[in-house]
Amino acid sequence: MKKAYVAIAVMLILAPLFAWAADLVNYSEPLENAAEEAGAEENQSYSGIFPDYTVPGLNPYISALITGFMGVAIILAVFYGVKMAKND
Amino acid sequence: MHIPDGYLDWWICVAMYVISAIVIGYSIKKVRGSMEGQHIPLIGVVAAGIFAAQMLNWPIVGGTSAHFVGGALAAILLGPYAATLAMTSVLVVQCLVFGDGGITTLGANIFNMAIVDVFVGYAVYNALKKHGAIAPFLAGWLGIWLAAIACGVEIGISSTFAYKIGITVPTMAIWHGVLGVIEGLATMGVVSYIRVHHPEKMEVAA
Repeated sequence: MKKAYVAIAVMLILAPLFAWAADLVNYSEPLENAAEEAGAEENQSYSGIFPDYTVPGLNPYISALITGFMGVAIILAVFYGVKMAKND
Repeated sequence: MHIPDGYLDWWICVAMYVISAIVIGYSIKKVRGSMEGQHIPLIGVVAAGIFAAQMLNWPIVGGTSAHFVGGALAAILLGPYAATLAMTSVLVVQCLVFGDGGITTLGANIFNMAIVDVFVGYAVYNALKKHGAIAPFLAGWLGIWLAAIACGVEIGISSTFAYKIGITVPTMAIWHGVLGVIEGLATMGVVSYIRVHHPEKMEVAA
């Protein structure tokens, strides 16, 4: 398990680097390409607490770092919470 | 492949929520029956690892990008029912906390990435696991490919996409058919590593 946590931490630390590299090639996902070809537009009514992995006031790379650790912490907390509830 | 709000017609959103809820409910029942409490944190660690891996957008020259999805990998490591729960937790956090994927389309995103990717990946892996590394490779590749085709069908029968299913399905299938090779290689790499170093961790729920 310890190695898994280390691997997760390494990926999270690398996330800002990938965000920067993806910006460099001006990326888009295939789903966005399909939307463009069909002329579809998204209509996001709810954009989350930290929209698109950004923290208000912070630059996108530091945001990616912080939100990555945040997401992992939330997911781990949920499953450890379920385990504790089950043990009671 | 996270569908945002507005892409799908309301009846597709409702249908996908219903199907996904049924599969999640059944998965919870199966996991409760077959897994010990000590394995629950392992589901969490796999889910956390997949969330972290999805933070990494691999840039591909030519202006596209893809991130690892991980449904097949989760299925190989955890069995399909626990994997569906792990993937669902990732998608719910991405949607609610980070606005990645719409709320109305969450059922569809769960169907594509937490159900289709997981169960297709698991079936392919199971059918081929006697043949070594090709099994996790094809599981990762075909899992993501069929998930992308499911996504293409859902948007292609929606009014926002002007019912251009003849465009959406080939676009999703061709792009993710190519990008899926990366998913296959990553799935193969992680499975091979765990099989060699931690064989006791392979499919705890089986």
